[in-house]
Amino acid sequence: MLGIEDVSVAFVWVATVLSALGCVIYGAVMWNRGGGERE
Amino acid sequence: MNLSVLIPLCLAYIGVMSLLAYYGYKKTTSEADYLVGGRNINPIVMALSYGATFISTSAMVGFGGVASIYGLSLLWLAFLNIVLGIFVAFAVFGKKIRRLSLKLDATTFPSLLGKHYNSKFITVFSGVVIFIFMPAYTSIVLIGGGRFLQETLSMNFNAALLILAVIIALYVIGGGIKAVMYTDAFAAVIMLIGMAIFLFTSYQAVGGIVDGHQALASLKSMVPDSLASQGHQGWTSMPELGSPMWWTLVSTIIMGVGIGVLAQPQLAMRCMTVNNDRALYRSVLVGGIFIFFMTGAAYMIGPLSNVYFMETAGQLSISVAGGNPDLVIPKFINTLMPGWFIYVFTLTLLSATISTVSSLIHVQASAFGEDILKTLGIRSVLGNVISPARLGVIVGVILSVILAYLLPGGVIAQATAFWFGICAAGFLPALVGAFYWKKASRAGAVYSIITGFGVSMFGFLFLHEKQSVAFGLSEALFGKGYLLAYPWTHVDPLFYALPLSTTVFIGLSLFTSNRQIEEEGVQTERVNAR
Repeated sequence: MLGIEDVSVAFVWVATVLSALGCVIYGAVMWNRGGGERE
Repeated sequence: MNLSVLIPLCLAYIGVMSLLAYYGYKKTTSEADYLVGGRNINPIVMALSYGATFISTSAMVGFGGVASIYGLSLLWLAFLNIVLGIFVAFAVFGKKIRRLSLKLDATTFPSLLGKHYNSKFITVFSGVVIFIFMPAYTSIVLIGGGRFLQETLSMNFNAALLILAVIIALYVIGGGIKAVMYTDAFAAVIMLIGMAIFLFTSYQAVGGIVDGHQALASLKSMVPDSLASQGHQGWTSMPELGSPMWWTLVSTIIMGVGIGVLAQPQLAMRCMTVNNDRALYRSVLVGGIFIFFMTGAAYMIGPLSNVYFMETAGQLSISVAGGNPDLVIPKFINTLMPGWFIYVFTLTLLSATISTVSSLIHVQASAFGEDILKTLGIRSVLGNVISPARLGVIVGVILSVILAYLLPGGVIAQATAFWFGICAAGFLPALVGAFYWKKASRAGAVYSIITGFGVSMFGFLFLHEKQSVAFGLSEALFGKGYLLAYPWTHVDPLFYALPLSTTVFIGLSLFTSNRQIEEEGVQTERVNAR
């Protein structure tokens, strides 16, 4: 997959990209949630 | 490199950093401003500052060079850096740290633990550990910056080290955490631009993602015998299970640094500087992008450099770099990238050094002034001429510069793993217990912290070959570099110190928590009711 022979290494290449993308999506979705006042 | 371009560029860069530090100084009017930014720092600034503190030159150049040897399997660390170092650190732990520090009015990592467990010992002991051992980490980051300035600007190493130390000390003394975080954020933007360009150009140079990976996989037959005998199976495979390379990769590089990030005082305290949970959620977005383009990019670029050098020079990266992994990334940049990028990358590495050192110095200073002196009842020094925390900056900088001369060369990666490892083993059980476990007791926390630091220190100094040989104490006392045979020489001390400190924490807490509650009344109310 993706030219990488070891499945676990191919998995982690994809997982690294997706986790960064996940952080972007999470931050965007939660941008206006979670309480804006000091608590 | 043209010095008539580079020197004015560096001066302009230092000028912008100085202006930002001055802005931080003007905005710092109270002790809370100095220590936690008045708990009102912009989330984007916080995330960039966290990232720039996290990533030093050793992460980009040192670990990038290591990735050229180990291959893409090092991406497990980048994955953990994003998932644990950003998502869990901000959205899960960060929320708890922020609420707990606000509730207990704690402004430092040691005082957060000490106040929660109602133990001055924890505050002072943690402060002492930070003040004594963090300079080892600070000094190697400083050495990296000094060596880099020596190479690029043809400066004298001693002068480079002192100039860096004095500039950083001045703005940390004046502007506290606000100056540190504003300058960090500017540094982070430069780092982000530099590494993003570098990553895209690297993949372009090897024919794209799939072709580049296939070319890298086809180099399997080129693995040097010295690496193959250690378990190396090619740059797109994990090392052989249980081999020395596998143990180093999994226990030190992936687990040690990957888990260690959660208990780093200089990173955890960043979550105290924002004023609500929303800010932490927003920080996840910026932090995820930043760390991907730092560690993710470095661990992709390092292995790919082998393909490029094999095509252009007929050699592997490590051979082109003369056997020194720290030179792989600089060599790759000098041969692959256009001339203007070398200037950008020079500022990128300077940014990585200054942002990490300034944050470490600030935490050392607050450990000295707040956690040690104030907890022991010393509220003014030198007749109120200077606050204890600011005196801590001066002492911390002097300690780090002295250590930079005492530490042996080539210990950047070892000293990083050492600091991350002892923090995880010492602080993590007590920290997680403070967030999630009502039965967590003071005795459990105290002895867990002592066990974690004691066992991991023993492991690093006497068992784990890379550190024990580098530090030389085992050789001096027992006449041999390490005390036990393989696999103990390659198993990171975190692997046994963290389970031990966790066991002590749970066991003692179960044994003492009920009695402590009866004796002292209700413990600190937990903040995660919501």
